[in-house]
Amino acid sequence: MGTLLLSGIARSFGDVAAVRDVSFSVPAGTTFGLLGPNGAGKTTTMRMILGILIPDRGKVTWDGAPIDLATRRRFGYLPEERGLYGKLKVREHIAYFGRLHGVAPPNDERRADAWIERLGLGEYASRPCAELSKGNQQKVQVACAALHGPELLVLDEPFSGLDPVNAETLLHALRELRDAGTTLILSSHQMWQIEDLCESFCVIADGTVRASGTLEQLRASWPTRIVEVEPPSPRLREVFDAMPEARALPNADRPVLAYEVPASADSAALLRRLVAANDVTRFERVEPSLRDIYLRAIGAAA
Amino acid sequence: MSTLGVVFGAEFVRRMRSRAYIAGSVIGALSIIALTVLPTVLTSVMSGSSRRIVLAGPPALTAAARQALRADYEVTAVVPPFTGTATSAYLDAHRKASALVTIAAERKGLRVDAYVRDPSLVRESLSRDLGHLQLAMALGVPPSRVVADTTVHVDVHDISGRFANPNAADAAKGVAYLFVILLYLAILLNAQAIMTSVAEEKTSRIAELLVAMLDPTQLLAAKILAAAATSFIQLAIWLVVGLGSGRVVAALAPQMATAGSAASSATLLGNVDVAPVEIIALIAFFIVGFAQYGVLYAAAASLINRTEDLGSVAGPLVVPVAFAFVLAIVGLGVPNSPAVVATSMIPLLSPFVMFTRIATSAVPAWQVALSFALDVGAALLFAWLAGKIYRVGLLLYGRPPSLRQVIATLRS
Repeated sequence: MGTLLLSGIARSFGDVAAVRDVSFSVPAGTTFGLLGPNGAGKTTTMRMILGILIPDRGKVTWDGAPIDLATRRRFGYLPEERGLYGKLKVREHIAYFGRLHGVAPPNDERRADAWIERLGLGEYASRPCAELSKGNQQKVQVACAALHGPELLVLDEPFSGLDPVNAETLLHALRELRDAGTTLILSSHQMWQIEDLCESFCVIADGTVRASGTLEQLRASWPTRIVEVEPPSPRLREVFDAMPEARALPNADRPVLAYEVPASADSAALLRRLVAANDVTRFERVEPSLRDIYLRAIGAAA
Repeated sequence: MSTLGVVFGAEFVRRMRSRAYIAGSVIGALSIIALTVLPTVLTSVMSGSSRRIVLAGPPALTAAARQALRADYEVTAVVPPFTGTATSAYLDAHRKASALVTIAAERKGLRVDAYVRDPSLVRESLSRDLGHLQLAMALGVPPSRVVADTTVHVDVHDISGRFANPNAADAAKGVAYLFVILLYLAILLNAQAIMTSVAEEKTSRIAELLVAMLDPTQLLAAKILAAAATSFIQLAIWLVVGLGSGRVVAALAPQMATAGSAASSATLLGNVDVAPVEIIALIAFFIVGFAQYGVLYAAAASLINRTEDLGSVAGPLVVPVAFAFVLAIVGLGVPNSPAVVATSMIPLLSPFVMFTRIATSAVPAWQVALSFALDVGAALLFAWLAGKIYRVGLLLYGRPPSLRQVIATLRS
């Protein structure tokens, strides 16, 4: 198993620069979340990882070497735009992609059966793919991408279009792959799922990296924290107002005081001052969520 | 198994199972049977009655005329000189004869009147056969003597040394014509299948998955090879059905006056004088010709965004196929003219034209080798370009890429 390394890759389409400068590394066996708004360059970055597009600049390596066709056959890919051969039956379709990835018969069909079972597609195994619902078609494609036990699995918006039950089934399957040693790269707008699954993240906007690292690293670089205090009494408010760097946050829907304070602020000293001013029934220093970090990174934070 | 083999196998099975392929094969076979059998049967049925005639005239004259007409007509009755007008009922009464032919000797020669149901069925052979009789009477010799004396045998000697006998030259033209037709049919019948396959993968976005693990040139090559294989199977079925039905017609209808079409086909095939190495060359040009057009059609299909748009890119590509077809047919008459020799060196045209030249003339080996090398080189170049265009085209959705975009991408 190797490490994926992207070094300053860039790609333009005519006058449009889809990716300007993206660098990150994904250690073997880890799960990596690629975040960004629509048009940020996530799909183009993924396509460059998979050799579908060739970077105009920079390089992509796997285990220290450029990624050739033989290496790419050991990868798996779930593109954002789903595509299946509508007339092929589900089992045939999955087995065919297994063979394309180098799984020789009869293992192709054995593994297809195992993935059909794992993703709950048993009743559809002998039906043409075109007859399946969108969600089930997506599960077929996941099986096609993962059947061969890929070293690296790239999933572009894998949860879009899935109902909660199917999304949970997919999450479970991805965790199993991760546990088996597959390196996962996925993009998603479902923050809770990606936060739950991934160990490190990269936020891309306008073709450049805005933030990257583990959640702890991202939080450590976050400049402020939110402190919530109850009850929302005027005396407690005065304590915050006395802090020049504290900023009140609108919180009309809950009976709570919410302030943004510097990350370096001494929480214990603040709590002592609050208690000295008034009774405090709740004091909470809220860590920024992945969503907060994402919104700030792309410049859309409130 | 290599990825080429995997894609080839899948494409082959998919094509063989497709309803369009099965229906096309069956309909094609039935059409060939119909085309082989029906003309023979219809001609036989129609000519069966048109050959029957009633002869009227003086006994000595009708006896001689009967002899003269023996090869082309069946005389159902000989009656005394006829003075009235023949009616259909009269002809029906004489085994449904098609005509009453009255003969009389006059000072200038024979006077012949033919009373027929259908004037268009009066044959030239009636005039020719009775012409022999008239000449024989004038010379006072038997009609058979006249027939023998007016037949001149011409010995044709092929100074190129290409053919053992003149019949072999005709047979070779037949072989060339057959290969030209087969290649033309194979390209046109499979172009749609190749284009549909590529377009479906693009419009369904499967192409993106495939390119992630396959070289586009290999992918296209596998598709075209699969189309070629299924096409050859289809053509082989049609060929076997055609030859089989021809033999059946020849075997079942020996009594039919015009079962000759099948018999003459068999004779033609028996005269084929094409060496095995030339047959191999013809097959090689067939394959490389199919490949050249196949990759062009595949590349064109990768540029469209909806399968409904296939016609707009397929149309212009029919032009070189049709042009090459016409050139090859024209070349049958003048296989060694400078224009035909020159076009036999131009890729896309040469597979067709070389069929004509190889089958009908003694083409220098270096010309065959050069033409084939150019064709293979062009096929590889087309495949490489098609792979590039495929890679560009498959990620361009919404509108077809401009020529400038394609060229810029090819350069990059």
